[in-house]
Amino acid sequence: MNIFDHRYETMPRAELEQLQLERVQALLVRLKRNVRRAREKIGDARVESLADLARLPFTTPEDLVESFPYGLFALPMREVIRLHTTVGPQGRPLVIGHTRNDLAQWGRLVARQLVASGVTANDVVQMCFGGGVYGAAGYLFGAQVIEASVIAEDSAHVDYTIATLQNYRPTVLITTPGNALDLVTVMEQRRLDPQSLHLRTVLLSRPVDRETRERLAAGLFARVQCNFGLGEILNPGLCLECEAGHFHVHEDHFLAEVQEGELVLTTLCREALPLLRYRTRVTCELVRDKCACGRTGAMLRPGGRLDGRLRVNETPLYENQIADVLARTKAAGRPFSVSVLERRIVVSVEISDDLFADAVGLIEDLTREIESEFLVRLGIEADVRFISPWSHLHTEPGSDAGNAI
Amino acid sequence: MLLQVKNLRCSHGNLEVVHGVSLHVRAGEIVGLLGANGAGKTSLLKSIIGLLPPRQGEIYIDGRPTCGQPAWRSISNATVLVPEGKMIFADLTVRENLLIGGYHNPDRALQLEVVLDRFPKLRERIHQLGGTLSGGEQQMLALGRALMARPKLLLLDEPSLGLAPLMVKEVFNEIRKMRDLGLTVLLVEQNVTGTLQVADRAYVMETGEITLEGEAADLLHNPEVKRAYLGKGGKETWL
Repeated sequence: MNIFDHRYETMPRAELEQLQLERVQALLVRLKRNVRRAREKIGDARVESLADLARLPFTTPEDLVESFPYGLFALPMREVIRLHTTVGPQGRPLVIGHTRNDLAQWGRLVARQLVASGVTANDVVQMCFGGGVYGAAGYLFGAQVIEASVIAEDSAHVDYTIATLQNYRPTVLITTPGNALDLVTVMEQRRLDPQSLHLRTVLLSRPVDRETRERLAAGLFARVQCNFGLGEILNPGLCLECEAGHFHVHEDHFLAEVQEGELVLTTLCREALPLLRYRTRVTCELVRDKCACGRTGAMLRPGGRLDGRLRVNETPLYENQIADVLARTKAAGRPFSVSVLERRIVVSVEISDDLFADAVGLIEDLTREIESEFLVRLGIEADVRFISPWSHLHTEPGSDAGNAI
Repeated sequence: MLLQVKNLRCSHGNLEVVHGVSLHVRAGEIVGLLGANGAGKTSLLKSIIGLLPPRQGEIYIDGRPTCGQPAWRSISNATVLVPEGKMIFADLTVRENLLIGGYHNPDRALQLEVVLDRFPKLRERIHQLGGTLSGGEQQMLALGRALMARPKLLLLDEPSLGLAPLMVKEVFNEIRKMRDLGLTVLLVEQNVTGTLQVADRAYVMETGEITLEGEAADLLHNPEVKRAYLGKGGKETWL
């Protein structure tokens, strides 16, 4: 079995629970001493067993938004050496801080995934995310921990990715499912033999369905593994996918609960931004069963988003962000619906019949205006469709929740 | 887990000094317990060994509950405390001090040779009175006396306290060697850098509560530890 950190990954349940209890107790002390908002919420609450956790208050994404940027940081800014941003409810920005130790621990957690995927110091790792995906940093740290060779060049174009795969002969490719699918499609079109590449493992930044996984495995002639993470907690580094295909939460670092079907996480070791019972807005199942891989961390089966967050070309997107963009155009106030088609968002806007009939030029202008607003404000490409009010039309929050993960 | 402590509360009279502390030590580990004066470290150690009955909480040594047991029973759990300030018998010779440490050990004569081989300086001073040894030698004698009982779990209370820098280095080297003997050590210290260099993991205690737990190497770079104990930049060393 490929296990990076035997002690913690295979820790017996009793010892793990003792460790979690100790870490939660220390976390409470730190939060009470260092974070005013947390102190006000926690009050005199104490934890004497993990069951007492249920008495502690939740932290919500809204709390993170309200305390933006540094209100929940537990250390002064001079100790925070890395800031990553992500998007919270209503598309409002969130900032996640990391201290030197946070980054070191992040690297070790990602190294667990890499080792579980069979990556060793002898491997050459290529990362292909497209600019701005902060997970790339986590994979870089992880690869550095296990001393694999990393091609630290983010190929933005599929041609360049293929050239890199041929020239540098990487054995491991870490990428998004979208990029991997593009790669397979282009290779098929050009009749490139995947066996001529030297890929052994493809690690995807998020879970995909079985068919996609099989298509990628066949198309790239490599084993395909997935990861699962959450921007506010850690992505990657929250859990690892083992050889048996289960996502094991790193329970020495994250205390996972399920509350009304929602994944709730407590960061046990994070120094800069510790989160107590953070409601992730993601549905999940947690199974604490024996796994053939020998790891004892709870097995997580992630579901969809609860807050209707979409993912378009790896960019998280909330419905009100779309409404805000539309409000800046002549389509302001009109009913609309959205869906995601590959890397683009399809926006269907309702317009009145007379507009349909009379002003084709007007519609073309409006299309251009909306497309350009989406590209400029959100960085995503939009397909705009106009439909008549007679179509049954309404926005459906959460309708595309499955897409989010 | 060789030692498991859960929600331990200790008090001196009505004054609670340890407010619900949990910690554990795995067999073969060296674990540091760091904290400033008055943090409650010694009280916690005394509770584990049985010198200070806890107000509340659970203590398990090798899986057996030992909470509330008298101190003299700790030897049957193969647990030995090296107290703060060495507490050697000043009027007894080095040999007598060591033999007292092995009072329960039927093989004490054999163990005496093992200990003297380990601390050659003690062999040189075997007939000297304990009180005439230097501070560092007295600390070695205290460590040797503890080893005479062939413990599994060794509780060390500030072994570097009041020693010259060179002796501090020697004491920490001896503690590091304990790992090779298969000993498990809970090391209570104020010398943060020294402790974090020999320990596998450590806890940081402040005003009766544990505020941090982690791998020793991580704690060495923890901003709170650096600020509280190592001064600006945290460049202090024990060498």
